[in-house]
Amino acid sequence: MAHLTEGTLRRMVDDPDVRIGMDKTHLEDCPECKARFQVVSDDAGSIATLLAVPEARVDVSSAFKRVMTAPAAQPRFGFRLPIARPGSRPMLLAFAAVLAAVALLVGVIARDLSLNYTPNTVTPVPVTVADMQALSQLADYGTLTWTKQPALQIVTSAADAAAVAGGLQPPVVSNLPKGVSTNITYAAMPQAQAVFTFSADKASAAAIQHGKSLPKLPAGMDGAKLTVTVGPAIGEIFGNLQKPTGSDASQLNLPQLIVGSSSAPSAISTQVTVKQMENYLLAMPGISAELKAAIKAIGDPSTTLPIPIPVQYATSTTVTIQGVKGVALGDNTGVGSAVIWEKKGVVYVVAGSIKQSDAINIANNLK
Amino acid sequence: MGTNLGARRMTTVSSDDAAFEALFTAEYARVVGIANRVLADPHEAEDVAQEVFIDFRRLHSAAAGYAPAWLHRAAAHASLNRLRGARRRQRREIAQAMEEGDRTLDPQKQVEVSEDRRLVRAALSRLAPKPAAVLVLRASGLSYAEVAQALGIGIGQVGTLLRRAESALRKEVIRGTSN
Repeated sequence: MAHLTEGTLRRMVDDPDVRIGMDKTHLEDCPECKARFQVVSDDAGSIATLLAVPEARVDVSSAFKRVMTAPAAQPRFGFRLPIARPGSRPMLLAFAAVLAAVALLVGVIARDLSLNYTPNTVTPVPVTVADMQALSQLADYGTLTWTKQPALQIVTSAADAAAVAGGLQPPVVSNLPKGVSTNITYAAMPQAQAVFTFSADKASAAAIQHGKSLPKLPAGMDGAKLTVTVGPAIGEIFGNLQKPTGSDASQLNLPQLIVGSSSAPSAISTQVTVKQMENYLLAMPGISAELKAAIKAIGDPSTTLPIPIPVQYATSTTVTIQGVKGVALGDNTGVGSAVIWEKKGVVYVVAGSIKQSDAINIANNLK
Repeated sequence: MGTNLGARRMTTVSSDDAAFEALFTAEYARVVGIANRVLADPHEAEDVAQEVFIDFRRLHSAAAGYAPAWLHRAAAHASLNRLRGARRRQRREIAQAMEEGDRTLDPQKQVEVSEDRRLVRAALSRLAPKPAAVLVLRASGLSYAEVAQALGIGIGQVGTLLRRAESALRKEVIRGTSN
């Protein structure tokens, strides 16, 4: 019999009940494994000592009261999360990412407003709920006008979707993981465009409303216009998208897999210097040190699309997809995962309640 | 019809609240324990735990089967993220040193304990998220099955991951000591 693996030996340290059968006999008879077991056991003991902490005494009922009275976070960008009901983690992750992306578009892109922002690569930036709230306060500093309203349409054929998305073809998934439904619904959106006009008056009114703790809008920014263009975009939703029965939206069947592509967002603006905007953004109260560092670490903001990673829900890793840099969102509960990358001016997303390895595999084989 | 719908909605809301309270009562101490294992600071651990529950409640149903696993994983990641924030780390160390000062009589011992804890936390913050989470969850008393569920891995992988994580942490502690 082969020697026992380190993993088996480690488990034997914690759980004498797994010392059974051939493994048990081997451990008793093999001096080498016995010695390794001793090393593993000693290591485990010393790590347990290192990680020991005085126990935290908790008052569950008062903690419960605090949690129940905590104010609910509300997005302040003029839209609310649709069907934000429990059980829809991958969907909510996507919505949260979209929300943060909008906030970041107003923020990060504006780091160099003299440039026409057309990203050609992606990079993850860690975003907390507090960051999103802080950045969304920018919405009070001016007026957001949609010059082309976003109009998402659900259609049943790829041809109809392509027509809505101005000719953008839906990506083709060549190797669907087992268990994922082949029932496809298409979603498509024509190009949408919004103009954000900064206003010194609105900013000072907002500062007063927020208790004067918000930074003052730099003079040059009054009247500056930031035009953000997104889409067209097209997506395929795998799984049965049934309407909820009854009034409880949580009964909505959630898609197992969403594959989408969109023209990379672009932004152009006037009047404000890079330094002004950066200093201003980083002075916003509530911005985490992690996000500040991540924004500063973006080498060339005019060519990098920040992918906001909601740090409380997901960890991200950098991966190579079809020869370019991509961001993989690993959902370690196995409830969901996502991969985002950009190639030739098009941003792609593969997301769903699938394993991260499956998502990466689909991404690499997407046509 | 409208009244019936309203009544049904209220029933759903109150049963959601009851399920959340049951989940909170069952898991709060453990979620604090996980965060405390990482942060070595009971007050900050409670902050993290409460944030985790608030986030959970906003996004999920307490009746979901994955609820405890989600909470455990979120507690590990949220506290490890906090640990990685340098500014907060410094602040915590000062607070910790003061707290240790209150409890420990022997000043020499006090310095040693707080220095060890600082080194271990610094080492933990340098580990990759998964090994760090495995260590913390297991050290917090989660079973192999619970660790596997929280991290979305097979139960057979836990021993291997744990062993590797322990070796990695030991190396990081040694590296921290020799620097």
